[in-house]
Parts: sequence; structure tokens; C-alpha cells
Amino acid sequence: MLIDTGQKFLKKLSAEHMWKKSADSRVPLTIGLPRMFFYHIYPDLWETFFSELGIKPIVSGPSTAKTVEKASQISETEHCLPNKLFDAHLAELVGKVDMVFVPRVLSTIKNHLSCPKFGPLPDAARADIARGTEVLSIDIDETVCPLSDSLMLLGKKLNMRRDRTVSAIERAFSAMEAAKKNTARPAGKKGRPHFLLTGHPYTIHDNFIAGPVLNKLASMGADVELISFADNTPSKSYILWSTANAIYHKLNTISADEYDGVIQLTVFNCGCDSMMIETYRQLVREKNIPYMYIMIDEHSAQAGVDTRVEAFIDSLRWRQ
Amino acid sequence: MTYMAIPNIGNYTIALATAVESLGIKAWASTATTPEALKLGISAAPESVCLPMKAHLGHFIEADRAGVEYAFMVNSVGTCRLRYYRHMIGRILKDMGLKIKIFGLGFDGFKPPIVRYFDPGPLTFLKPIFHTALKIKVIDELEVAAWRTRPVELTQGDTTRVMNRLLVELSESGTMASTRAIRKKAARCFDEIPIDRDKQPLRVGLVGEISFLRDKCLNKNIEYILGSQGIELRNFFLLGEELNNISRIVLLNQNRRKYLSRIADRYLQCTVGGHALDSVAHSIRCADEGYDGMVHLCPSGCMPEVSVRPILKRVSKDKNIPILEMSYDEHTCGVGIATRLEAFADVLRERRKKQVNK
Repeated sequence: MLIDTGQKFLKKLSAEHMWKKSADSRVPLTIGLPRMFFYHIYPDLWETFFSELGIKPIVSGPSTAKTVEKASQISETEHCLPNKLFDAHLAELVGKVDMVFVPRVLSTIKNHLSCPKFGPLPDAARADIARGTEVLSIDIDETVCPLSDSLMLLGKKLNMRRDRTVSAIERAFSAMEAAKKNTARPAGKKGRPHFLLTGHPYTIHDNFIAGPVLNKLASMGADVELISFADNTPSKSYILWSTANAIYHKLNTISADEYDGVIQLTVFNCGCDSMMIETYRQLVREKNIPYMYIMIDEHSAQAGVDTRVEAFIDSLRWRQ
Repeated sequence: MTYMAIPNIGNYTIALATAVESLGIKAWASTATTPEALKLGISAAPESVCLPMKAHLGHFIEADRAGVEYAFMVNSVGTCRLRYYRHMIGRILKDMGLKIKIFGLGFDGFKPPIVRYFDPGPLTFLKPIFHTALKIKVIDELEVAAWRTRPVELTQGDTTRVMNRLLVELSESGTMASTRAIRKKAARCFDEIPIDRDKQPLRVGLVGEISFLRDKCLNKNIEYILGSQGIELRNFFLLGEELNNISRIVLLNQNRRKYLSRIADRYLQCTVGGHALDSVAHSIRCADEGYDGMVHLCPSGCMPEVSVRPILKRVSKDKNIPILEMSYDEHTCGVGIATRLEAFADVLRERRKKQVNK
């Protein structure tokens, strides 16, 4: 019922014509990767894939206060913060590269969905920010076909030889696995508070959104474990959004011995989080683990986050 | 008498109330969210969820306070937040200690759980269902007639009066024969309204999120404001058409979305979710059909509708059609909306004058 039959048909059609040479497409020398959304969802995958194909990937810089300032000027006012930052990252790349890469990430795990905002992302880029630059895009929908097939299609779009694409995909996948393992942090030493930081992959790895929280926690001498999204076959729940489902299951399995507290990082105007936060809070409350959620918006700064994190850690001390 | 609260979708609530009678119970409903219900919903819901959710929640809280035992909530199979409404509303109501029981659609064996629970006889069940279909058709016709007549009426308010009278009669009509009589009468009633026959009203399409297209309280009566400004509206949500589409998906595997995605292909190659694709496709179609402008409604922070806004802006530039983007939240005030719409109507009028003079 979830699958749009029209899309499935198109996929089948394009797979049939996959290896016929298309004359009009050209191979770019450089390709721009905005450091948002899919860059964090598939860490290291895109850089490795494109450089294996002989295309130089150029990634926009980490988000800073300047990026946010730019975002508030050029982006749609009612977007969520990551989407605004995405627009700013895209604007940074436009003009410097031959092509920008914006995939349409419809689902990252089979029979799950990603945020509906990812659907029109390439179209919105073409319509507004990246107008004048070519936007390279593929549909990533694990419900219809696995990621490797989508990447094969991308190789075809770039006029690459089949064996070259295959080897590039292999390298890219192993790089992604390694990167996903790297983000898992070691277990905390005794005597230091150990926290779990949850949120979307593109919020907990973003410099502007998660940076202040991680800095403060590190300076307070706390260990932080970022939630991992490496599990590709999660058990089902009533939640179909894949990241929300992963967080839900993680919070379901943790115990008070493992973590001293859970910090939920959320962004202003995030639709998924607005529905789910109450569920998360209830789950963690039942296990008697302290829980705090920090909402980051355009006006957030280190000082505000500092106060909240300090107060949270202080309240944990009183608890003991 | 047992009562069941149903979510309101504007005037169509009248038809849905008849559908509830098929279960042998009565409906507790209103054609527009009351401000009191909205207030209750806002205080009970998490702060950043969208406004339709708060309206639904408030409606159910109000129902519980009035002593209603059951409630019905639609299920969505889409990608947006609507999918989790029922689950969330159920949980919030439980936390508040309210006893109201919420049913959803969905099949449990041969019968949906709601039918199994009340277990009406086949005759009590089927007759109101056909009656509902007829009522939906009549309301569709009334809506269309009202959009056409309101901008050209000579005495302001005539159309609204006729419309309201007919809707009251329709809600009181208990048999299919009387509904058919109202249907015949409706055409005559609208013909009798004195109108200015030479006037060529501006034409504006209304697209966006469905509960805002339908609920007079949420959209601050936008149809009336635009209509009395001399604008012929076309609201792109008619429940009859929507149900027709669903039955065609089920029976013939023909989805209207396929047709819409062909129209919108140059701008949007994805169905997104909600009614975002419809908004883009209808805007393009209206521009091609020579409409004077579009109004795009959505609650503040609506996931699908907000994400297509850059595309709507591009359509507006390419096709040279003004698109007014309105977003509503708890603090939206009717006067502010009226001012913006009047200004928009002025712009459209000047624009048409310029085109005529060219």
C-alpha cells in the first residue's frame, strides 16, 4: 500500500534501459556535496564513490553561525533548521562546481520512510537555489530497490563503465561501514557520567546543531555516545519514519545502569520530532533515566546550551 | 442514545453524520472547529505539532466533556504526520484521564473493528451509506454553486444565507427522498438569487492542506472573504472527487496522482505526501487555464506543503501567476487574514486592468 505503483514502473523502465549509452549526458570534473542530510545519513559514501569514478567531490564546509545567517536570508522561512542549512550549503557550492549532487532519499530502510521533506529536495534545489547549475539526482528508495542498484543507475547517468561502477560501489560501501563504526564511541570510564545523545543523523553530526552540546559535555568531563543508525533490519513498530523508529528501539532497550542520562537533540520546526518527543520521553521516564531535550533554532548559541547542560548535570549530582 | 464524535471536515460533516447512523448510533459533530475546542486542543497538545492535530484533539476533549463515549478518527497511510494522529490523540486523552474510546478505519478480518463493535444489522448499515454518498454529492454541488454565485450577487450575503438554509435542511433530512428533493430545490434557490450578469469576476484557485481548505474556523472563513471581494473561487478539495479517486484506485488501479504527476513533471518528480503534489499540479493547471491567481493554505510548519513552496514560487515566476502563500498558527487572527486577502484581491484587479489595457 505504501509503494506508489507509478514510481515502481518508472524504476523498472529505467533499469531496462540502464546500460544503453545516452549521448547527451556529460561527465563533470567536480561535483558538489552539501554537508547536510544525505551526507550524514550515508557517511563517506558519496565522497568515496565519486572519487573512485574519477570525479573530484567538493564538500561544503561545516555549518557555522555564518551558514545560518546566509540560510535565513536565502531559504524559505518556514523550513526546519536542517533544511535551511541545506539551502545555505548548496548556495555555497553553486558556481564553484560543475554539478551539485542532491539525491531524493525516499527511504533508507526497506518498508520504512524518511522525512517527507526529502522528497522534493532536488526539485526545490533546481527551482530555487541551484538554478543555473546542473543538479544531479537519483531516487534512493530501499522499498523499491536496494541502494547499490540506485548507485548503478547513478553510474549509468554519469556514463561510466559498468565494472568501474561496481568496484566504486564496493569501495564506497566499505568506507561507509568503517565510518559508521567510527562514530560509535568507547564505553565510559568509571566515575564519569555517560550520556546517550539521540537525534537525526544530520542533527547529531552537524557542527552548528550538535557542536555546542558536545563541546559543553566534553568540557564538563562527560562521555557521550551518539546514537547509531547502522542497523539495517530493525524490528517494526507503529513508527514508519526510519530514524524515529531507530531511536524508539534504542530507547526501548537501554537501562539505567548503562546511561546516566539521555539527551534528545531536536531542531526548530522538525515535524517528525514534534510527534515523537512525547513518546521518547515516556519511554525513558518508565526506565527512570533522566531525560532532557534541547531544541536548537537559528538563534541558538553556545551560552544558552551551556546553561541548560550545566543545570542538567548538576541536577544529576543532586540525584545521587 | 449513544453518541460518537467524528472529526469535522467542513460542511461534509453533515454527510458523515449520516454515515455514523449506519452503526445505529448518533454523531456528535460540528461543521467548523469551535474556538473553545481549539483552545482546549492547544493547551493539551505538544507545542510544535501542526494546527489540525490540535483542532482534532480539542474537538475530542470537548466531546468527552459533553459525555460522548466514542470517537472516530481517520487513518492515513501517507508519509506525513497525519499518520500518527490517532495514536497520539489516543495517548494524550488517556494521559488526561478521559474515557473516550477512539476507533480508526482499518480491517480486522471481514469487518472493520468499528462495525464489529456496534454490530448493526445489514439493512440499518447499508441504507445510510447510500444516503451519505448522495448527501456528499449534494454538498459538492452546493459548494460549487456558492463559489460561482457569491462574487456576482447583487445583495451581499444572499448566497451565504441560501447556502446555510439548504445545509440546515440537508442535515435534518432523514430519508433519501427528501435529500433528492433538496437537491432539486437547491438549483432553483441559487437561480433565484439576483446577480449581476455582466460582471466578469476574477478567478482564483484555492490549494493546500485539506483541513484548511474545508474548516471555516481554521481558515478564518477565507471562501467568504474572497467571494465577497468579487472573486470566483475554485477550491481543490471536494470530498466527492476524493472518494471517487479512492474507489478508482481500489477498483480500476487508476490513481489521479498519476495524471497530476504528469502535469507537474517539469517542476516536481515525486508525490511527496499530503496534498503537496496536488498543490503544484493544480497551480500549473490553473495558470494554463488563465486563472488570475492562486491562494496556497497550510498550517505553519506543515511538512509536505512547506517543502514545495520554493517550487510554487518558481511556477509563479515561470507561468506569470500570482500565488499567495498563507500559513496559519494558533495566533493567526481573522482580521489579519482579511487584510492580506483584500490586498491580494486589489493586486489581482489592477493586474487585470493592465492586461485589458494592453
